[in-house]
Amino acid sequence: MSVATALPGRLTFGPIRPRSRRRELGLLVLVAVALVVGSVSLGATRALAEGSASFAPWDPARLVVYLAALGMAHVAQVLAGRRTDQVLLPAVGLLGGLGLLLMERLPQDLAGSAFGDSLGLAGVQLVWLVIAITVIAVLSIVVRSDTWLRRYKYTWATAGIGLLLLTFVLGEEANGALLTIRLGPFSGQPTELLKVILVVFLAGYLSEFRPLLISESTRLGPLRLPPLPYLLPMIVMWALAFGIVVIQRDLGAALLFFAVFLALVYVATSRVSYVVIGLILLVLGGIAAYHLFDHVRVRVDIWLDPFADPSGDGYQVVQALIAFARGGLLGTGLGGGLPLVGGRLPIPAIHTDFPLAALGEELGLIGIMAILGVYLVIIERGLRIAAAAADDFRALLAAGLALVVGVQAFIIAAGNLKLIPLTGITLPFISYGGSSLLANAVVVGLLLALSDRGVEPPPPPSRSRGRFDRLLRRSTS
Amino acid sequence: MSGGGRGGPPRATPIGQGIVRLGIVLLAAFGILAAGAGYWQVARSADLVGRPDDPLLIAAARDVVRGQIRDRDGHVLATSKKDANGEPYRVYPSKAVAPLIGYASRQFGTAGLERAYDAELSGIRGPDPVDELMAKFTTDRYRPQDLKLSLSLDLQKEAVRLLGSDRGSVVMLDPRSGEVLAMASTPTYDAGAIADPATAAAAFAATAADPAKPFLDRAVQGRYVPGSVFKIVTAIAGLGSGAIGTGTRFVRQPPAEKTGLLVSGFRIKDGHHDFTGARPLAFPEAVEVSCNIYFALTGLQTGGDALSSWAAKLGFGAPIPFDVPTATSQVTNGGGSFGGGFADDVELANASYGQGETLATPLQMALVAAAVADGGTLMKPHVVTQLSGRDGATNIAPETWRQVVSPEVAGQIRDAMVLAVEGDSGKLFTPGAAVPGVVTAGKSGTAQLDGSAKPHSWFIGFAPANDPQVAIAVLVESGGSGAAKASPIAGKLMADYLDSVAK
Repeated sequence: MSVATALPGRLTFGPIRPRSRRRELGLLVLVAVALVVGSVSLGATRALAEGSASFAPWDPARLVVYLAALGMAHVAQVLAGRRTDQVLLPAVGLLGGLGLLLMERLPQDLAGSAFGDSLGLAGVQLVWLVIAITVIAVLSIVVRSDTWLRRYKYTWATAGIGLLLLTFVLGEEANGALLTIRLGPFSGQPTELLKVILVVFLAGYLSEFRPLLISESTRLGPLRLPPLPYLLPMIVMWALAFGIVVIQRDLGAALLFFAVFLALVYVATSRVSYVVIGLILLVLGGIAAYHLFDHVRVRVDIWLDPFADPSGDGYQVVQALIAFARGGLLGTGLGGGLPLVGGRLPIPAIHTDFPLAALGEELGLIGIMAILGVYLVIIERGLRIAAAAADDFRALLAAGLALVVGVQAFIIAAGNLKLIPLTGITLPFISYGGSSLLANAVVVGLLLALSDRGVEPPPPPSRSRGRFDRLLRRSTS
Repeated sequence: MSGGGRGGPPRATPIGQGIVRLGIVLLAAFGILAAGAGYWQVARSADLVGRPDDPLLIAAARDVVRGQIRDRDGHVLATSKKDANGEPYRVYPSKAVAPLIGYASRQFGTAGLERAYDAELSGIRGPDPVDELMAKFTTDRYRPQDLKLSLSLDLQKEAVRLLGSDRGSVVMLDPRSGEVLAMASTPTYDAGAIADPATAAAAFAATAADPAKPFLDRAVQGRYVPGSVFKIVTAIAGLGSGAIGTGTRFVRQPPAEKTGLLVSGFRIKDGHHDFTGARPLAFPEAVEVSCNIYFALTGLQTGGDALSSWAAKLGFGAPIPFDVPTATSQVTNGGGSFGGGFADDVELANASYGQGETLATPLQMALVAAAVADGGTLMKPHVVTQLSGRDGATNIAPETWRQVVSPEVAGQIRDAMVLAVEGDSGKLFTPGAAVPGVVTAGKSGTAQLDGSAKPHSWFIGFAPANDPQVAIAVLVESGGSGAAKASPIAGKLMADYLDSVAK
């Protein structure tokens, strides 16, 4: 434990002095250029389709608003003078901008809500993007202490489970899954927020119990296990994921939660045995779910051979693969793909579940590589922040936050590409939807806050830690 | 991703290590994603684009004026008109080509060549990547191409006329190039009515409900008991493998004609030709008089393995590569333990003269005739000879598919087939098949069916025998003997074609 290396007592801050962020500014300018070029390309394609030649950006007003929001976030950070990461905001800005361009070229009536009818798909997405950028900026500037996250982990856990139960009870069905809670005109998908709460809880729990989880006391064949009571969270987590599959019918969230959990346990303990046990549980649960539940079986069967029923069950997956194929190496260009048949899109859930297929068609393999690369950059920044963190809690929190984004992007991208069964989760920062954008904004905002090495030092080892240290000493001696 | 961070305080805990490993795992996972994207977008791109359920094709059906389809003489077989809304629809001037050309309908999708060449006709697939790239900078996304066929509309119409009200098929091809000259299937249907939005629903429903199955392209999809025309396959196997020679005679043959040939307790009967008396026949005479017993014995002497493998060289046992999908012709159901997939020697003996479990498409039997005609070389059959569009034309050249037998063996079989058409006895089985003034080779068939159904009438052949320019297979469902229906149709069509070439 290296907590003592942090400087004690520096809890007060001097006057806030602006601090220039040249790297972030440079990257943001690049992002803006890329998005303007994309918008011009989209505009030209649209104009050509209508028989005229034009090199004006498609809907410049929205783009200007979006870029202005990014610029304001940058300026706010400069004024706040914190030494936070300078790559995350441009990376997220590029993905969000690509998502905005995608929403602009899709039929605007896809939005399908009270606000959507008046604002259109791109309008709604823009509102949420601006809110998300604001959340990122506010969190990265305001959060200077992690006590509120660290101290109340069981409160967070309770809130999370409450949120989950609320979804179980009040959830409305969307695409066969109970995902949405509706309050008046507002609706949201609590599982998006739940993933952040999960990471906060796990970081707290694992950093506290790390010594116990590392210590050996039970051997089961070749596997070295910790004291059996400490396996309980694993079982609880597994049951929770299984419950999400059964009650909520949300395979994606279950997979995401379980994968993030396993990865964090591994980071905290460096124990392969946990991962092995977890994977065995995952496989067993998967097999059981396949045999017990129709919705799981259908998903898996579609995955195994979507071409068996290309106009029925396999329709969306086959159409997504055809879209990827049409894109080829270079893509059809923004606005050049997604042929409408009778005014309808070939892939109905393109804006939520299949944005990668749309971008794969219009930007080609090169575009997909670039997008995957940007996700890797976000993951890399997150893990770097984790590695440089001052204590275990912050390291696990940062790693967990990076994981949430990375694993979620992987699960939906792999589902689009038929590498794993398709699950209905969003592609972070690109997919349409406020809950997803907000939750991911919280993730990035917290990562930025954690990246400031001038932040309040972590608290000294608490009394409770001492108690567990004694327990540890007793159990290992 | 270094475990220590940028100049942070050194940390002794293994968390840094775990983070690095986690980073490596995620990097690998995203590498797999990139590989997956490469697989679908590059490796499998050509397979998936242009699938019939590609929405680009479906959208193209509303927007694009498809390329035309023309015959060898430039006659239009398929073209487009625009309806009141300015949306194009397909027009088909002749019903005779309907089963082959198929249709392209907004409501009912595509069939036939219209389906097989959907991508090219609507112009969504460019011939090369550079063009594809350049196309991104042009206003129109479609570059439709025209198809030119080797088919002769005149010959096709005559074939349909000769088949008349019978269900049947004619396949004519040039044995030297594999180019299809006529490919008829009756009854035909009105593809134009299915393509016309105003009449589509009623026309499609009526055609689909017709018990005569006009949508079935009998030439490539109909599988029929071949009867005696299959003897040419047995001859190729027997002579090609050396199991028999042209002088081979079977002592058991004449007595077996009276009592039946006893094979494992099953009597194969043949009463065709008492007039050849008690003298055992040699190969050419056996072909001339179509002696079932001779070919049963030849098949038994050749063996099941050899018969199946020589038939496979001719195209049996797998779909024949062609411009439209083809059904698989078979010598046997397969799976038997006797050799070559036969159940026992009784099945082998029966298959050797085209009964048993043997089934063949008219295209397959035309290829058998073409292989003999072309000195044992089988050309790949094709009907589309040219794709042409704004960006120029691509010709589809003749391609050798397989060398089936040596020219010597092909010559021996050809001579026997000449006897079967021109010989004193042979004439009786093939009236009307001989092209006037030209030495003609052929073989008729009368395919016996289960129960009391009238047999299928078959003829395969080619002309001129010494310089074959046309090979033919004619099938008339339940048309009676080969002499009754198929032979005269074949003679007339080959004569018409040779006349048209001579002009």
